[in-house]
Amino acid sequence: MDIRELFAQHRKDGRYVAAALVLVLAVLTLIYYLIQRGRDLPSVLVTNKVLLFVLVYADALLILVILFVLARNLLRLWLERRQRALGARFKTKLVATYVGLSLVPVLLLFFYASELLQGSIDRWFSSSLRSVLEQSSAVAQSLQREIGDRNYREALRVARRMSGLGLEEEAARAELATRLAQWRDESGVAFLGVYLESDFIHAVVDPESGLNDLPEVGRNFLLEAAENGRANRVVLPAGTRGRLILAAAAGAAADGKRRPVVVAGTLLDPITSGQSEELIQSYQTYRQLEVQKRDFAASYWLMFVLVTLLILLASSWAGLFLARRLMLPIQALAEGTRRVASGDLDQQIEVATDDEMATVVESFNSMTQELRRNREEIDRSHRELVAANRGLAEERALVGAILENLAAGVIALGGDGTVLSANAAALGLLAQREEELIGRRLADAWSGSERAPLEKLIATAQEHPREASEVSLVLGGERRTFEVKVSDLRDSGGRGAGKIVVLEDLSDLIKAQKLAAWTEAAQRIAHEIKNPLTPIRLAAERLRVKHRAGDPAVGELLEESVAIIVREVGKMQSLVDEFSRYARMPGPQLAATAIDGLVSEVVALYRDVKPGVAIQTRIAPGIGEIWVDAEQLRRVLINLLDNALEATEPPGDVEVRAERRGERLILEVADVGTGIAAEDREKLFLPFFSRKKRGTGMGLAIVHRIVSDHNGTIRVSENRPRGSVFTLELPAR
Amino acid sequence: MLAWPQLLMLGLLLAPPGEPAIEDLRVSVDGGQVLVGFHLANGLDPETRERIDSGLPTSFLYALELKRDRKHWWDRGLDATVIEVVAMYNAVTREYLVNTKQGGRLIESRTVRDAEELEHAMTVFENFPAFTLEADADNSRFLVRMRVDLGPGAVLGFIPYQRYTDWLESNKVRLRAPEP
Repeated sequence: MDIRELFAQHRKDGRYVAAALVLVLAVLTLIYYLIQRGRDLPSVLVTNKVLLFVLVYADALLILVILFVLARNLLRLWLERRQRALGARFKTKLVATYVGLSLVPVLLLFFYASELLQGSIDRWFSSSLRSVLEQSSAVAQSLQREIGDRNYREALRVARRMSGLGLEEEAARAELATRLAQWRDESGVAFLGVYLESDFIHAVVDPESGLNDLPEVGRNFLLEAAENGRANRVVLPAGTRGRLILAAAAGAAADGKRRPVVVAGTLLDPITSGQSEELIQSYQTYRQLEVQKRDFAASYWLMFVLVTLLILLASSWAGLFLARRLMLPIQALAEGTRRVASGDLDQQIEVATDDEMATVVESFNSMTQELRRNREEIDRSHRELVAANRGLAEERALVGAILENLAAGVIALGGDGTVLSANAAALGLLAQREEELIGRRLADAWSGSERAPLEKLIATAQEHPREASEVSLVLGGERRTFEVKVSDLRDSGGRGAGKIVVLEDLSDLIKAQKLAAWTEAAQRIAHEIKNPLTPIRLAAERLRVKHRAGDPAVGELLEESVAIIVREVGKMQSLVDEFSRYARMPGPQLAATAIDGLVSEVVALYRDVKPGVAIQTRIAPGIGEIWVDAEQLRRVLINLLDNALEATEPPGDVEVRAERRGERLILEVADVGTGIAAEDREKLFLPFFSRKKRGTGMGLAIVHRIVSDHNGTIRVSENRPRGSVFTLELPAR
Repeated sequence: MLAWPQLLMLGLLLAPPGEPAIEDLRVSVDGGQVLVGFHLANGLDPETRERIDSGLPTSFLYALELKRDRKHWWDRGLDATVIEVVAMYNAVTREYLVNTKQGGRLIESRTVRDAEELEHAMTVFENFPAFTLEADADNSRFLVRMRVDLGPGAVLGFIPYQRYTDWLESNKVRLRAPEP
């Protein structure tokens, strides 16, 4: 694992961050220590250009690092803001706050410290201090100069005295040695020497001066004096601690000869010499510092900059780190929220945090998991719903197709009586266009006299659903008979949502039934008429045979034949009368009739007529009076009771029930007899149809006629467990 | 109204001091030795004088390169040397110690007493034996190229940099005079 991987792995670890901060603190402490020590360091070292180079480049490097760190983070922030990343604005504020909080005090401190440093340096090099040092140095140097001048004057005086002495000659040199000691005594100098240019001739030393030996004056010094006539020099003689101030004066040279040089020297005592030297050196040191003033200031300023930049780097980085650390879970949450909002419910946030944000992150993850589960549930439900809807649609299409292809008309009504739909058969049966029916209330769509009975029937039938009714309408001048069945339309909660009306055109069926009935009737009539005709014919033919044969018993036979003929004709007459009565049956004369009384009256007629067969009556209370033709209704009940008693074998019960359902009277006569075959039920109400050995077969035909004349219906159904039930429905007005 | 001469004089007085530059670079051959002579003009500016007078050691580094007179840069160099002149002032004795080194070795040390002598000692070289050539060396023409390291300066007072003069090339000479 290389350094970069290690750094990437641990850069967000709090312990490493703390260690980095401690390291920065240690570096700052070291720099502070160096600055403190810097006061004790030689100025040459402090102002060393190498140090300046190092400081400048360290500062530049730190500036680059800070700029890089800031620029990198600012660029990242800018990009995030430009991409409208969630949390970018908040992060910007956070970073600005942290960096600003670190920048402002550090920069303020830096500028204050810089000013303080500059002020301190300016105070170090104050004009008063310089003046004192300069004057001190000048005093020390003027002392040397004064001594030098005195020495020069003495040397010059000796040089003048020596003029005329031929120094090149031995005799003259001996004389010079004698005189030189005297001249030194007179002048008071510590050293007096004579040279011929740079060559030594003679010298004397004051034994009391402290000079232990002849000083080395220097060849250049002598040559300078020989050339310029004067020279000054300060030397440190061997074996002494004081300075020897030398002055040389050149005498006049003999023609073509070298110039004599006289050197006079005064030895300063060590104390005076040291103090004087120290004064001069102090001023020199001051001048050196002054020359290096800018370098001093630059060094310290660069050190300040270094420290400031280090603090700035540490604080900026810490600010950015804290902002990032704080923003990381928030940004992750914001991003996660955005992704969840866009539908990505697999989003799980993984942020290493152990504070309150951990609870928020954990809650977010739990929430997304719960959302994902819910969404999966919803998806599953949705798929099921889609499948169900598809099935329903297919079913609806199938039902629609069936409805459209049904011969029966089907009309769907809403809860308020508005027509929701009607199939083509319904429109065809009712001779209406779709726009005349769909979306309109029945009362409006069928307000005309042609279809009003149907509307009335449906309105009535709504109270007694699932019971078929017949209605006859004259549509376009043609009478049509419909069987109408109204069913409740209920929603999934069992609440009424409307009605389904099924219309079946019975016109053709009725026509066919009538035709068949009349055919049957004709056959029955023919049969019934043929039955008496045969005995009549046989009686007549036997009478003719007897008559032709001249049988004496013809008279008796005549009587017998006539009786047969009269009897059979009577039967025929009865048949004709019955049929005639059926044909001539008058319309009902309606009057308010107490139904319970009427039923009780009829039932009383048949009570105990057939032993072992009891007649039970169950009349609902409050039926009251109803407008009917009492006589015709009595006949109906008699017919039905007659049939019921005949069909019921003892022991058995016949029950008569009466109740009022809304605007309709329901009368039922139930027996426990053998029942009626299904195929016979269709023909049961036709004239001359009967399965009984006796009777004309007109009874139930007349019952049906009476009920129809009362705008009622009659039907026969199977009685449970055995027998039959005849049910009459009459308008109960 | 100022006359032209007065204006010229005023202009000269107000004109900034010239930049340090090598002048009068001359090369001659004495036997196998290459002698150079040159003068560093404007070398001792007031700031440098102030520095020297304060007692701080102050030096000039004269970098000299001996080159063949050829077109191709990669085949020109023959030798290179650095002459360092260090000056240090002793305020007690009021003397300037001027040391001259070549290749890090001290070759001359002298004491001067005034500023003119000091400037002369630091900036004027006459027939200085800078290089030695083998007797059987190629007799093609050669020249000396040099510049002076004037010491560090500072931009904005705190950004140090090294001050140099421009490079200057000498006249071209041969080791031996061409045979007639």
